[in-house]
Amino acid sequence: MKKKTETTQPVTKKKIALTVKNLHITYRGLKKTSIRAIWTKLGSRVEKFHALKGISFELEEGKILGIIGKNGSGKSTMLRAIAGIFSPDKGTINLHGHTISLLSIGVGFNKKLTGKENIYLSGMLLGFSEEQIRMKEKEIIEFADIGDFINKPVKTYSSGMYSKLAFAITAILETDIMLIDEVLSVGDARFKEKSYNKMKELISDEHRTVLIVSHSLDTISSLCDEVLWINDGDFVALGPVEEIIPKYEEFMEQKTTSGS
Amino acid sequence: MKKFIFNIRRYYKYAIYSAKAELKSEVADSYLNWLWWIIEPLCFMLIYTFVFGTVFQNNEKYFASFVFVGLIAWEFFNRMILGSVKLIINNRDLVTKVYIPKYILLLSKSFTYLFKTGISFLILIPLLIFQHVPFTWHMLLCIPIFMVLYVLTFGIGLILMHFGVTLNDLANLTNIGLKMVFYLSGVFYNIQKRLKGRWFAPYLLRANPIAFCMHELRKVFLEQKIPSIQGLGFWLLVGLVLCMIGVHVIHKNENSYAKVI
Repeated sequence: MKKKTETTQPVTKKKIALTVKNLHITYRGLKKTSIRAIWTKLGSRVEKFHALKGISFELEEGKILGIIGKNGSGKSTMLRAIAGIFSPDKGTINLHGHTISLLSIGVGFNKKLTGKENIYLSGMLLGFSEEQIRMKEKEIIEFADIGDFINKPVKTYSSGMYSKLAFAITAILETDIMLIDEVLSVGDARFKEKSYNKMKELISDEHRTVLIVSHSLDTISSLCDEVLWINDGDFVALGPVEEIIPKYEEFMEQKTTSGS
Repeated sequence: MKKFIFNIRRYYKYAIYSAKAELKSEVADSYLNWLWWIIEPLCFMLIYTFVFGTVFQNNEKYFASFVFVGLIAWEFFNRMILGSVKLIINNRDLVTKVYIPKYILLLSKSFTYLFKTGISFLILIPLLIFQHVPFTWHMLLCIPIFMVLYVLTFGIGLILMHFGVTLNDLANLTNIGLKMVFYLSGVFYNIQKRLKGRWFAPYLLRANPIAFCMHELRKVFLEQKIPSIQGLGFWLLVGLVLCMIGVHVIHKNENSYAKVI
């Protein structure tokens, strides 16, 4: 049925934002070692951990993709690979020229500096120019809502204020493709709701493509258009939310009953 | 190489900003603040001048300036090398969360050290006046000499940075290496005069780029001489080759760093 709708839609409307082809990632190669260990272990084989075993998918512009799977199935690894932090051992990731960022909390913060200075530091690290940040600075400060603390060193912040500022930076400085790894709950109840709404607003922009990793199936089903399910690094299924989520729930239930 | 230039263009502003931020945070909560940047090199100079000038009876001309020039070059080299070994691991938070060309981290670090070196050079001026060292145009030649030292140090730093990720005890090894280079570079003695007639003296000067740069810096500051163009050209070339190797190695491996640390 899905195929039918795709072919009937005009071709111009469908723009691919992200193509992942046969993605393999292994943890090995550069293994932490000491000089003594080099002598003693010379020639012995290093153990490999195959985190992703050939994942392929394509994502249209403006779509929101949820990624599910049990712990250790390679979800975060995949996000990091797409963000460019890891290099794939095999396969390709094509961003089709879009800007991308992994929404993570407080990247590159210097705790001795003020909140304002950290906005610039973190923003520039995410690839924005000083002017771009200056334009958004007010909005960020407003959203973070931490009052006079914005001019005080970050080390004096409470952990809630810290995450509020950090969230504001990443949420307001937006990129074409956003990767979100379980960061929907920061701060107090009021801020949580605010950030959830902001997140919804951000990802519902029709040009923004979003990938969300979450264990909360509620979050996934309320936010996402499509779901990708991976298990132990293997591709299991990709499809609309209504189709995949029940299957996943069933699978997880089976596991718990067979495990106990 | 294209990628390197592109990355530098894209990230140099971040490198400068983060260098500024680091300098700021360094003095943010100390009582004497930025005065430490002046006090520290001055005190080191006084200590070395006292110990090696008075206690060990060194009658080098302009001895305090002699030691200070040596210290400027040494401190820069020392800081860069020590800083580079653990650089990636110390920036774990950053490296595992966002992509940044790793040499930008070293570049940013080097800016903070360059800034401190600049302050030391400013302190050198009153010291030279105090010791009645004649001021000549030769002193301007310290700039190309220092550039050679920078390129060399950056190249070595890049390579150490890469191996520092996987080799846990590289820091210990570099500590020993640095101590050796420190004593062999003649920070507080004149290699040419002290080791006159020893068969290894010329090798010490020629094979050790730090000793060489120090020697050339002293030539332009204290002896009103032109530095050895040949020597500078040679070490610049070596430095550039090291940088190229370093950049290549890092490009090839940087995306695996996040998996290791």
